[in-house]
Amino acid sequence: MSEPTPAIPPDPADSLAAVAALRRLADELEDAAVEQAMRSGWGWPRVAEALGITRQAVYKKHSRRLIAAGVELRRRES
Amino acid sequence: MSVFGDYLAAVIHRAQLEASDAGSAKVEAPHLLLAIAAQTEPSIDPLLEEFGLDVAAVRAALDREYEHSLNTVGVTTAAYDLPRPTRLPTRPGIGRSAKLAMERGFGAVTKKKGLRPAHLLLGVVCAEVGTVPRALALAGVDREAVLARLRQAIDTPTM
Repeated sequence: MSEPTPAIPPDPADSLAAVAALRRLADELEDAAVEQAMRSGWGWPRVAEALGITRQAVYKKHSRRLIAAGVELRRRES
Repeated sequence: MSVFGDYLAAVIHRAQLEASDAGSAKVEAPHLLLAIAAQTEPSIDPLLEEFGLDVAAVRAALDREYEHSLNTVGVTTAAYDLPRPTRLPTRPGIGRSAKLAMERGFGAVTKKKGLRPAHLLLGVVCAEVGTVPRALALAGVDREAVLARLRQAIDTPTM
């Protein structure tokens, strides 16, 4: 038998707090994953496509942080 | 700068470090609460101590709220280990919840000269929804009692 699907929390405060917490978790995961990809030699276009966002958006959000972290940034992959 | 101006600048500076350490691009209300708890300030320290709101307790309460909120939809951070985010090289700006806290805290004062550290804490604690009230509730802190004591402190004239 399959397990019953959990219901959305009955209190809207819990549901909304879960949304906020998931956004924070997704942001933290994105920071770590983009850094990991760029350290592995990925270029911005590939990272952007994998995330489903534009190159400009991913560059704007992550470039300053990665430059400060000493990551070698590539426009294109060799 | 006024005494309160110095206090506010010190709290915001600390809150920016807290936000930056957490990988957050903006200073939000939880970062302000951590900064207030960390800042030595004789006019509110006894109140913070009375309710057990030292920086370690506030941090533990905020961490618990985060985990609890994720758990309500079946997600846990304990399932894997994320690396610490690399700090942003820039100072985080002031986010929506922190702005709201300041507007609420400072809103009750008619003259800027009347602002005191208790107003800032009042602004942070008076939010009825969001991370801060949820964290305080999970930590067993009586938010209404904190507010009552803060209002009492604000109404008491200083020397």
